[in-house]
Amino acid sequence: MTKRITVILNNETRSLDVEPNDILLNVLRETLGVKSPKIGCERGDCGACTVLLDGKTVRTCLILAVEVDGHEITTLEGLSQSGLTPVQQSLLKHNSFQCGFCAPGMVLSATELLGKNPSPSQDEVKEAISGNLCRCTGYEPVIDAIVAVGKKAGKRV
Amino acid sequence: MSQPIDNLEEAVARLHVASKSSSAYESGPRKVVGKSAERLDAVEKATGETKYGQDLFDKKFLFAKVLRAAHPHAEILRIDTREAKKLPGVVAVITHSDVTGTNMHGLIRRDQEVLCSRKVRYLGDALAVVVAKTEEIAIEALGRIKVDYKPLPNILTMEDALKPDAPKIHTEGNVLGEKHLRRGDAPAAMREADVVVEDIIQTQTVDHAFLDLEAGRARYDGKMLTIEVAGQWLHEERRLIALAIGLPLEQLRLIQPATGGAFGGREDISIQIYLSLAALKLKGKTICLRYSRSESMVARHKRHPMRVHYKLGAKKDGTLVAAQVTFYVDKGAYASTGIAAMRKASSHATGPYKVPNVWADVIGVFTNNNPCGAMRGFGAVQTAIAYEGLMDRLAVKLGMDKAELRMKNLIHSGDAVTTGQIVPNATGVECFEAVLKKIDWKNRSYETAAPHLKRGYGVSVICFGLGYGDGFPDASRARCKLTADGMVEVYSSGIDVGQGLINMIAQIVAEEVGVPLERVRPILADTQLTPESGSTSATRQTYFTGSAVQLAASELKKQLQDIAAAHLEELVYEIKIDNGEAYNVFRPERRLTLRELAREGKRRGFSLEAMGVYKPPTVPEDTATGQSMRAFVTYLFGSHACQVLVDTETGEVKVERYIACHDVGKAINPDQVIGQIQGGVTQGIGMVLMEEVVMKDGKIMNPGFTDYILPTIRDVPEIECIVLENPDPGGPFGARGVGEPPLIACGPAVMSAIQDAIGKPIRILPATPERVWRTISEK
Ligand code: FES
Ligand code: FES
Repeated sequence: MTKRITVILNNETRSLDVEPNDILLNVLRETLGVKSPKIGCERGDCGACTVLLDGKTVRTCLILAVEVDGHEITTLEGLSQSGLTPVQQSLLKHNSFQCGFCAPGMVLSATELLGKNPSPSQDEVKEAISGNLCRCTGYEPVIDAIVAVGKKAGKRV
Repeated sequence: MSQPIDNLEEAVARLHVASKSSSAYESGPRKVVGKSAERLDAVEKATGETKYGQDLFDKKFLFAKVLRAAHPHAEILRIDTREAKKLPGVVAVITHSDVTGTNMHGLIRRDQEVLCSRKVRYLGDALAVVVAKTEEIAIEALGRIKVDYKPLPNILTMEDALKPDAPKIHTEGNVLGEKHLRRGDAPAAMREADVVVEDIIQTQTVDHAFLDLEAGRARYDGKMLTIEVAGQWLHEERRLIALAIGLPLEQLRLIQPATGGAFGGREDISIQIYLSLAALKLKGKTICLRYSRSESMVARHKRHPMRVHYKLGAKKDGTLVAAQVTFYVDKGAYASTGIAAMRKASSHATGPYKVPNVWADVIGVFTNNNPCGAMRGFGAVQTAIAYEGLMDRLAVKLGMDKAELRMKNLIHSGDAVTTGQIVPNATGVECFEAVLKKIDWKNRSYETAAPHLKRGYGVSVICFGLGYGDGFPDASRARCKLTADGMVEVYSSGIDVGQGLINMIAQIVAEEVGVPLERVRPILADTQLTPESGSTSATRQTYFTGSAVQLAASELKKQLQDIAAAHLEELVYEIKIDNGEAYNVFRPERRLTLRELAREGKRRGFSLEAMGVYKPPTVPEDTATGQSMRAFVTYLFGSHACQVLVDTETGEVKVERYIACHDVGKAINPDQVIGQIQGGVTQGIGMVLMEEVVMKDGKIMNPGFTDYILPTIRDVPEIECIVLENPDPGGPFGARGVGEPPLIACGPAVMSAIQDAIGKPIRILPATPERVWRTISEK
């Protein structure tokens, strides 16, 4: 009972056959070859599998592939197509990652936040990142990096 | 021009560094070491390109799955794989009878069967490996394997295990071993003490919870079996796999993929060994294997839960006179590295305090719970929570300020720790003073917004013996090489698990040889290419591998100076290498680039490669007394202070402020040092406030992050770090290390603050809201 779906993945239209119970995370990684969304818990607890679905963060381990038919998905592979974004640059500058496994989810959660709120406060950053676990850092450099992007943006205005 | 020398230790360290360094004209400020250079692997992490174990999979490969035990304790009567083999898509089903090697593994004692043949001892024990065309088929096949068991009584507590008629989990019995420490006459001194406090503290089972689940692949081409799985000590893993599967060592190659955290959780062997069996059986095929989160939690070893009976005696003025400690350690089903963790407990029984009479006994008891082994802080975490907890109780009983009590008893340089080892460079006092000043201890305020909110302040001071110690051979090796394209390559089997080892190594090489960081190319953790560098554990990589790297780099530099001297026709001791160019200090106009040095070296037949080996000895602890003049190569000191707010109506604890000070000797990369401190504190907060593997009848009741609660961004306050740099004569550029101490010092500081807030100690960890609330409500 396969179903043909079409998604716009990182600005590229892709059509593929999926089973009704195929999890989006697995389809992205195995069928579409996009490996930046990570498998951390498969239960929606860690945020490592985060992608942007029509610009909003979702956990792909909780979504069926058939649900995203006709929608737009952005992963880090798409986000970094024309070089590092300001939030990526800031995260690098603040030594925000250690093992880096949480990085894809963090980057996308931060991207979504900065899209709606160009200069977020510390609390707003915490709110936005509260679903992304990191086992290595103390989160502080992540907060600092995202707040710093906002400050820069604020100045430019 | 030499820099002024402020103190003796620095002078000694300088001497030591000078002996490693090769030019008579090397002085002036450091260019790379001590700088927060960006991680060399940072960009690929931020762009999601880094390949972890799970990213090595492809649909065209075969997939393996492991059958786990159905009972925590049972005899295996029969394993029937016929139905599983019949399932279309199944390629192989492997059981113990297919294993041609010893089928045994274990880091210190090989007491664990790779695939169980006669008996299972916990629910994570493996019985069979299925290999199939897809993971789904492999999972389905697992369900078709029939195993007949004869269940045995489950031994779930240490009490049950120690009963005289208890069924034996291992043929030798239910006691893994004991450790004893006898320093002075503790019982006699205790009788003389003016004040005695006594308590029992129970720590819990903790999971490493690295986010990057066990995953990887293996392939055997008939000559070489290549395994790409994240471990923590590739050479030892290679040895254990070779023995277990019966393949010569030379035919195994282990390669470390990018690794998403380890924290001791990758120290015991995991999927490597199943993958090896599968690959060996299916020559020419690539096999993939990954754990789900729950399988990862069920299969992997844990942090030892310990029950610590602690008795501490002091004079009226607070001077400590005696400590008597017994540690009951739940080993779970297998030995793992338990005996070493137990010894870490006894050798750190009184931490950084001067106690003339100490008796400590540690007993490790087998149960049918998850095996326990290495986790960041290794036996010292539980111990620090106990001794600092007792210091707090003593302060209350004496009516003395708890900071003053600690200050009075801290060791100074030249004093001995529990093992009798004299510590030449004890900086606990300095660390403690720094945090007290920062938190403004004297003026701490207990004012809160409402009467049901109570504030508390906690402090801790710890010392930590670095490396394996105890006479165990502990060595790191590294190789440096100048390539034709003018890059300095450095080879080491040290593993970057996220802590930043890659930068530690590269920055040392760049500094030592005199080249920009971009000219250094680290090549890490591949048994075919890189020399043995010991385990990535015990806070040892900076100290040991960093030193080996520095030695290799220094040797390479000497060779490059020879080449430059020959080519420029100058005196070798006047040749300086700076910013990647070699020249005579007095005639800097004529210069040789790295590329030219490589070409000239090759033309002249000079060596362009050097090896460094660092192997400082330690002395085994006496088996009866636990005493040793050099139990560890060196000690690390740290101190934390924190402020918490307890909601007495809900029992909720909020960490409001956190200060951590560590003496790291020298921060090779300060940002990374701070990252280690903040990460360690975060894991410490997790351990004391929320994390617990709940075991019931040998089964983990919370095998996932829905119920195994980890600290999120909301649980962690800003962590203010103070980094002290008292150089250690044995470390590279004076560096000591920082991996474990921040986690060790955190637990006791938070526990101390909670006690301060609610006026009672919490005896059982973690201090969940429920437990805190109950403790408050108890009359
Ligand atoms: S893998 Fe999806 S939230 Fe953890
Ligand atoms: S850096 Fe390792 S999980 Fe975040």
